[in-house]
Amino acid sequence: MFNLFSILFCLSLLYLSVTSRLNAYISVLRIQGILLTLLLLFHSIGHFSVLTLILPLTLFTIKVILVPRYIKKIIFDLEIKRTIESSMRQFSFLLLVLFSMAVIFFVSNSLSKSVKIDIIPFASGFSSVVIGLFVIMLRKKLIVHVIGFLVMENGIFLFGSALSFKIPLMIELGALLDVFVVVFLMGIALNKISSTFSGFDITELRRLKD
Amino acid sequence: MILVLSPLFSGIVNKQKNFFTGRIGAPVLQPYYELFKLFKKETLHAKTASFISRITPLVHFTAILSAAAVLPVGFSAPLISFEGDIILFAYLLSLSRFFQILAAMDIGSSFEGMGASREASFAVFVEPIFFFTLGSIAFITGLTSISSIYDSIVLNNISYLVFIFVCSISFFILAVTECSRMPVDDPNTHLELTMIHEVMILDNSGFDLFLYHYSSSIKLFIFVILETSFFGSLGGGNRVLEIGIFILIVFFLSTALAFVETVTARFKMKNIPQYLLFATAIGVLNLLIFTFTQ
Repeated sequence: MFNLFSILFCLSLLYLSVTSRLNAYISVLRIQGILLTLLLLFHSIGHFSVLTLILPLTLFTIKVILVPRYIKKIIFDLEIKRTIESSMRQFSFLLLVLFSMAVIFFVSNSLSKSVKIDIIPFASGFSSVVIGLFVIMLRKKLIVHVIGFLVMENGIFLFGSALSFKIPLMIELGALLDVFVVVFLMGIALNKISSTFSGFDITELRRLKD
Repeated sequence: MILVLSPLFSGIVNKQKNFFTGRIGAPVLQPYYELFKLFKKETLHAKTASFISRITPLVHFTAILSAAAVLPVGFSAPLISFEGDIILFAYLLSLSRFFQILAAMDIGSSFEGMGASREASFAVFVEPIFFFTLGSIAFITGLTSISSIYDSIVLNNISYLVFIFVCSISFFILAVTECSRMPVDDPNTHLELTMIHEVMILDNSGFDLFLYHYSSSIKLFIFVILETSFFGSLGGGNRVLEIGIFILIVFFLSTALAFVETVTARFKMKNIPQYLLFATAIGVLNLLIFTFTQ
């Protein structure tokens, strides 16, 4: 079951790397949020209690409802164009993603010999981090960078669940709060930039330096 | 069975497409009427055409029909089956495509040459999809004959379910591309600049065109069978149940196809390679996952 979710997670990553519409990016975020929630729920099936429900529920509200809505609101309010602008062709981006995924799978395979990890969730979390980084590096729009950051965060979450030891509940909740605040702050920053500066192209932002 | 049923499938897809767009549409048996109409007509050849464009429709048709013989239709045993018939299947399809491209270039019309070049360039991306998808299943089961691969798939194993889900996506993309359906090519348009597949058969008429149309509907049906065969073990040996499941899945697939064709627009030509690479990526992912779950 664990592997199933990780594979679906990988599929969502691949989709992220071929699509060129902002809305699709947001729905990828939603899907990943749902997958992570389901994963956590399956984790807690053996030892069910109210405490184990807190984390999945918070995750669901933040990652599936609040953050995507907020990003949509920003896109709507600031009238951002609906396409992502890439500094690389989508085709080569997909090739890059595919290549790095393969490398990551091999690396985690060799890692699993020395450390006890589940290969597939580990590798998909890892590749999610890397792909989030690629998105941040190779896309021009600021709002897409926010999404890339969130994808990275999702990856770290999956990554954490692949390790055999448990991360305490409070830390997980704190991380979630952190993410939420960061997205919120980025939204405010984007709003500020838009009021002083037209366009969210990072190439434009170069002019900001003195 | 394939010969009889395949136009029916295209008919059903068309009917459902019309249903989704709110029209009544042609009767389900319309493809049969059209094929019959073409069958009766006289065949004309272009003046510049050589023997290649004369033999191509037949070669095309035979290649596709023999490719179909490898498949287990309705979960029954296929006509031909031996070790490694996956390769045979793939290359029979390629052979048909190769001859079609040759024939399109043979006539010497610039439009058809353009269609041929497009078909050839997309074929480059289609082949890896097939090999990565079916190849990964072959790798998983350790078998190389299509029917035995399908026989060995047991649905109660959770990892197979994942594989089937993942493979279904890439098979769908493969079917759409190979049969030049909507997001990749629009079979309804007759504007030469936008077509891929239809432009290559512009100069054919009568019996030749009949063969082309017939074989393209068979091709579509082949991919439907490739997909349905995953669910063969659901019937559990009961013939009636198996055929019921077969019909159900075929109907489901035609709905999916019609739905996708209704909601999507045709892609820009330059976006198609990335769409196809996506399907290949899925296959690669399959293979990676399999390798590391061992």
